[in-house]
Amino acid sequence: MILGRVTFGLLAVALFSGLALAPFWSAGRALESLETLNGATPWGFFLRGVHAFSAWGFLLGTLAHLGEVLWKRTESRLRPAVWWRSVALLPVAVLALLGGFLMRGDAEAQAALAVWREVSSSVPIAGRALAALLLGLPGADLAPVSLHHAGTFTLLAWLLTAEHGGTLLPDLRSTVLAALASFAAAGLFPVSLGPPVAPDGALLLGPWYLLGLQGALLDLPVAAGWLLPLALLLAVGLVRHADGRARAALLALAAAWGAGYLALTLRLLLAAR
Amino acid sequence: MFRAQALLLALLLALAGLLGALGRERQRAAALGRAPDRAGGKVERCVTCHVRPEEDPGGAHARAAVGCSSCHLGNPFAFDKARAHAGMEPEPGALRSVARTCGRSGCHVREAARVATSLMARASGIVSVNRWAFGEVPEPRGTATMVDLLAKEERTPAEDHLAKLCAGCHLHALRASRDDAIHGNGSGCSACHVARRLPGAVPRPHPSVDAHVTDDRCLGCHSRSGRIALTYEGLYEIEPAQAAALGTAATTLHDGRPAGHAEADVHRRAGLSCVDCHLHTDLMGDGTRHEHSESQVEIACEACHGPARDGGETTWAEVRDPITRDLLRQQGETRPPGERVRLGRHGTPVWNLRPSEGGWSTLRKRQGVALATRPTPADANHRLPGHERLTCSACHSAWAPTCSTCHTRYDAEGAQWDFAKAAETPGRWVEASEGYDARPPALAVRPDGRIAPAIPGMVMDLDAAAASGPRFSRRLYASLDPHSTGKKARDCASCHLSSWALGLGTGTLSFESGAASFSPASPATDDARLAVDGWTLLDAPSPGIGTRVGLRSLDAAELRRALAVSACLPCHAKATDLVWRDFAGSKARLARGGTRCGFRSAGSPRPSARAEGAGLVGLKDIR
Repeated sequence: MILGRVTFGLLAVALFSGLALAPFWSAGRALESLETLNGATPWGFFLRGVHAFSAWGFLLGTLAHLGEVLWKRTESRLRPAVWWRSVALLPVAVLALLGGFLMRGDAEAQAALAVWREVSSSVPIAGRALAALLLGLPGADLAPVSLHHAGTFTLLAWLLTAEHGGTLLPDLRSTVLAALASFAAAGLFPVSLGPPVAPDGALLLGPWYLLGLQGALLDLPVAAGWLLPLALLLAVGLVRHADGRARAALLALAAAWGAGYLALTLRLLLAAR
Repeated sequence: MFRAQALLLALLLALAGLLGALGRERQRAAALGRAPDRAGGKVERCVTCHVRPEEDPGGAHARAAVGCSSCHLGNPFAFDKARAHAGMEPEPGALRSVARTCGRSGCHVREAARVATSLMARASGIVSVNRWAFGEVPEPRGTATMVDLLAKEERTPAEDHLAKLCAGCHLHALRASRDDAIHGNGSGCSACHVARRLPGAVPRPHPSVDAHVTDDRCLGCHSRSGRIALTYEGLYEIEPAQAAALGTAATTLHDGRPAGHAEADVHRRAGLSCVDCHLHTDLMGDGTRHEHSESQVEIACEACHGPARDGGETTWAEVRDPITRDLLRQQGETRPPGERVRLGRHGTPVWNLRPSEGGWSTLRKRQGVALATRPTPADANHRLPGHERLTCSACHSAWAPTCSTCHTRYDAEGAQWDFAKAAETPGRWVEASEGYDARPPALAVRPDGRIAPAIPGMVMDLDAAAASGPRFSRRLYASLDPHSTGKKARDCASCHLSSWALGLGTGTLSFESGAASFSPASPATDDARLAVDGWTLLDAPSPGIGTRVGLRSLDAAELRRALAVSACLPCHAKATDLVWRDFAGSKARLARGGTRCGFRSAGSPRPSARAEGAGLVGLKDIR
């Protein structure tokens, strides 16, 4: 499918632009290094834009491709284990992108880091260890986050995508198309950084793809931060094993989840205005 | 397979994107600063643009030492103005953001936390007394603050009165929220620690910021209400008509109000500033949410002049106050652990008071000049029987500003600056009086039973009917230390023969058949026996009340006792006179006829010249 191949191309663009950005980023001076990249490095803002848009494109492409698969009922073409691993690509992509957001080091990123530390810590038994493993110890710099962003989750995303597509590398045309689209977006829409310190009384927003979850956490206990996504993944994953009314019910559940998520996103955006 | 059109479209879009990026790249390169971008050992890109010398506050807060963002926030890493100025605090020290500016970690954390609880920030005393005077709360106390009040959408008449007349003088009042009443440079910490922009002075983009708070900064707020900062300088506010009568003897205050001259406080004449006496806890608070100023102020005359109260003296080895220790370190001073130190009422060391040969000496903090501090003499004046309850200021306050009558009404048709809205809003509180005066203060009995100076605090007619409020008259005196301390105390007659000092108001005291009577110069409309500016009557069943729970005028018994000696004063005017050593014995000797006193044969006391007159000291006596 074309969408899937372009999505793989976007992942490749994100990977290579990320490699180009890596020398300019500092774990101990994250925001300062990104301000320097944006303000004092020739074409730095553009490179960062390409990285951001290709990564966002990868997430959107993954979602759209998932929808396409479910719409065309082609999930059964994959073996169950491959299907489940393909479904797992969604949280892996989100976690990879979230790492990139946290690496900004601005007030929004700091707030998001604190929220995700709480969410991770709320996982029973292994929560605190998981939080320390993924996000580092409280007060430490962002080196662990960057390691998982550039290493763990990117590698996982690549492997899962490659397995799903049955090819280790994206094809050249898809990659060129993905690069051109990323160049266009990065040139036309600058990617900004957040404030260094949270303004008094302001509602800080997390990454756009997690706004629904942020909105849900305003009312729900912190464990909802991992229980709600887990519910969606289970519903989508089980579609492969269901037929008829059961499949329809699972899809309806996933659709309701998505609608609710959009509603919560909208509510949060309105509250932030 | 992708169609060629799709690739072509992507190529065109990418070209458009690259063109847009090229434009922004040119802008970025052009805007890039050329100057150094570090200050205080950290990245501070503000200084690539803000390079002019006059943009440097200098001193401990010099641009090179702390940069700009330490106080002004914003984004010190940014390369463009919009991002650099995003989230900037134009008024560093403002209490809304003080935890991130002055009170940030590594700077003044303790002080900033205390200031927020201090009375200068909360003004709870002003709020509670005003609400009580309007009849909105049962007693003049409470923890409601000016901040609470200003945040309210619906205000009571008292709260509206405060918001329009009083709310400029508290540390939460932002510069933009003020009209021109305060003439300060900011709010919060800046209200005291930033040099004022004096009218007519050469404009400076950035004023200096320092620990030394000069008297002119106190004057901004404390030249109002009790007006202690004016009194300290030897100035008292007057009405324009009074200024016209005084002619060249009148002066104009920093904010245009006319003033007359009186004798300055003896400490002022010795060159002492406000902060030479007042401790850091007096000014910035001690972390306790005091209701009224008298409970927050630590310094007392006894701390310097003695005799020290129990527990009022210790050694530096016992001092734990970290702020005082920091102050000493900043001054480059040390104190031997064994050196004695006097303490304020709550235990804060008076660090600029040091033992010296034969006594104590006071250091003028700003100039570093040491002044010998005279101890309270243990003489007849200070051991006069019957005067044990008097505070130092009851006798040593030479005069106090007095506004004996006040008429306050609400004009619904007018408009007035509203400190809560930072704009002129409909409705105006109009105050009028028959003129200000400066005279020796009256005497009040404080809640702790001690006798202290008092002035008419709210002897007023209030008409808030147009604001759906009350319409009534109040006769409230307020106790205060006027800050007009004289080396020489007021004489006996100025209290015992003064109807004003005794709280009766302006009028004539006379004595018939051994009994005193009082004739008011201007009777009150509601009671002809009462002076219009009086607080109580000679035979009032209960004393006059004041602006604190338990504050009162002298009661009938105390007045009788005070007047009982009046007959003797014309001949026995000095405390060293033998008759005062045992006044009861003296009276017994008089009754037996064993004295040469002509009082008994005359049959009635001989009123003094003062008692026949207005019973007070006129302005010309003070100047």
